[in-house]
Amino acid sequence: MDQEFMAQVETKVVVPTESPQRGAAAMQLKGVAVSFHGRVAVRDCTFDVTKNRVTSLIGPSGSGKTTLLRALNRLHDLTPGAKVAGQILLEGTDIYRGDITVTELRTRVGMVFQRPNPFPTMSIYENAVSGLRFNGVKKKSILDEAAETSLKSAALWDSVQSRLKVAASNLSGGEQQRLCIARALAMDPEVLLMDEPTSALDPIATLKIEELMTELKKRVTVIIVTHNMQQAARISDDCAFLLMGEDRAGELIEFDTTEKIFNNPIDPRTLDYTLGRFG
Amino acid sequence: MSIVIPPPPDFTTHEGGGAEFNSATPSRTWYHYVLILASIVFAAVSVGFIGTILWNALPDFEHHTGTLLGGNGWQSPAGPFGGLAMIVGTLETSVVALVIAVVIGLGTSISIVFLLPRRFRNVVATLVELLAAVPSVVYGLWGFLVLAPWMLKTVIPWLNSWPFAKELFGNPGQQDGQSLLLASIVLAVMILPTFVAISREVISVVPNDLIEASLSLGATRWQMIREVVLPTAKIGLFGATFLALARATGETVAVALIAGGVANVQYHLLYPGTSIASWIATEFGEAQGNEISALMALGVLLMLVNFGLSLISRWLVSRQRKVLAVV
Repeated sequence: MDQEFMAQVETKVVVPTESPQRGAAAMQLKGVAVSFHGRVAVRDCTFDVTKNRVTSLIGPSGSGKTTLLRALNRLHDLTPGAKVAGQILLEGTDIYRGDITVTELRTRVGMVFQRPNPFPTMSIYENAVSGLRFNGVKKKSILDEAAETSLKSAALWDSVQSRLKVAASNLSGGEQQRLCIARALAMDPEVLLMDEPTSALDPIATLKIEELMTELKKRVTVIIVTHNMQQAARISDDCAFLLMGEDRAGELIEFDTTEKIFNNPIDPRTLDYTLGRFG
Repeated sequence: MSIVIPPPPDFTTHEGGGAEFNSATPSRTWYHYVLILASIVFAAVSVGFIGTILWNALPDFEHHTGTLLGGNGWQSPAGPFGGLAMIVGTLETSVVALVIAVVIGLGTSISIVFLLPRRFRNVVATLVELLAAVPSVVYGLWGFLVLAPWMLKTVIPWLNSWPFAKELFGNPGQQDGQSLLLASIVLAVMILPTFVAISREVISVVPNDLIEASLSLGATRWQMIREVVLPTAKIGLFGATFLALARATGETVAVALIAGGVANVQYHLLYPGTSIASWIATEFGEAQGNEISALMALGVLLMLVNFGLSLISRWLVSRQRKVLAVV
């Protein structure tokens, strides 16, 4: 690869300096592996997701980042032939075998997807409160308050408060994605999963969402999959690096604070990837 | 039968246009003229067909429009030729059939897409396609020979055990079982495959993104279907409904076999009646003079209705495409 380009990448990576001190774990992964029809897609994932921090999952295509993320709120339940092995604990409860229903799990672990996907037949307001309605909340005062709070948390309230009844499809892509974040936040989740939430957005909308994430971690634990190493460096506190193994199954190479992963990783492959030598 | 949701490729925006494209080919060969001729023949046949029907129907429209649309009773061969019984019968059988077919069909489509295990899905889907391919005369025969005796023996006594049922449906006693209700039920079975094929298609193209989003918010499977999938697919489902309705109104042979062929306005569904299409089919053989133009006029009416219904359903399906394009 071009030497000049390499130098550019290196200087662009800005690593936040934070104390490596760890709080309590919101989620714990112990030897997590996901397979489809017996073919392993990702394996050997063991790490703790610390409360009120942003944890990023990075790695090249095919390393199983998204597959791993989707195991955390049991979205693989829908896929025929999908199996999740190992243990995933939410506040100490095994989400696959423990005393927790899948719908309860999903209200506690929210998700934002790659492409903005507001419900096209619902208004902005209805989108914001859709999760609450799914869970049986009918009282208008509660819904109104939740809509306002969540839209404010997603930095969307000011621009939409006058047109809450308008169809969500009228919003721009970045606004739609923030509506999806608001929709997830309205459930007051403990963990928010984000699957490359800015990959379909322009740089300005991306920046807004990144700013939002730093704000969000005060009240919710964020786990984000990102293709963009600079994004991971900018916004995440902890970082898991995954890589596709010889048998095409993704595996966890290294997990540490983002600072360590980008500045002083143990595994040489991690350094190669963060410096842009491959991927 | 199925509707493909992605729009067809748009060749009209191809740069350069047709003229340049043609000039690139060395010369106009014989197949060029054959193709042009074929399209001219097609246009001529279409115009001739519609033109002659309208021409033959014209005398009736000129002198007896009121009788055609509002008259009861069909006196062959001298007239008057009232079309009200056929119009009402068509409406009754189609609407009752549609209600039955939509309720059962929607349940079937949802089950095929979301609820059935993968193996059964294909079995049911294939079954639906097979039912769509059965010729309508077979349905009529089945209705007459199997369903009618069963209705006489079981359904009608059961219906009559309900309060007000006799007032609502009528009480025909022992006949041969031909009735508007029987025609409605057989029609429902006939249009069910049409409705299921299209509604299944419409439901299955609801983006997975939306389904996952609703489940990620803690929706149950039933909530996901009711609050997200059906509203998103709503317009397309209406399209499927109109197409099924068009098929019901135009159905001829089966209804002719089982509706009873009586040209009286009949609001009690257990009595025999008729429909526009089946009346034309049973009467045209002996028709003369004014009766021919009256039958032609009925034909024009049916044609217009079906034309309108399929236009509406096409429009709805294209609207659905736009809804999905926004997502």
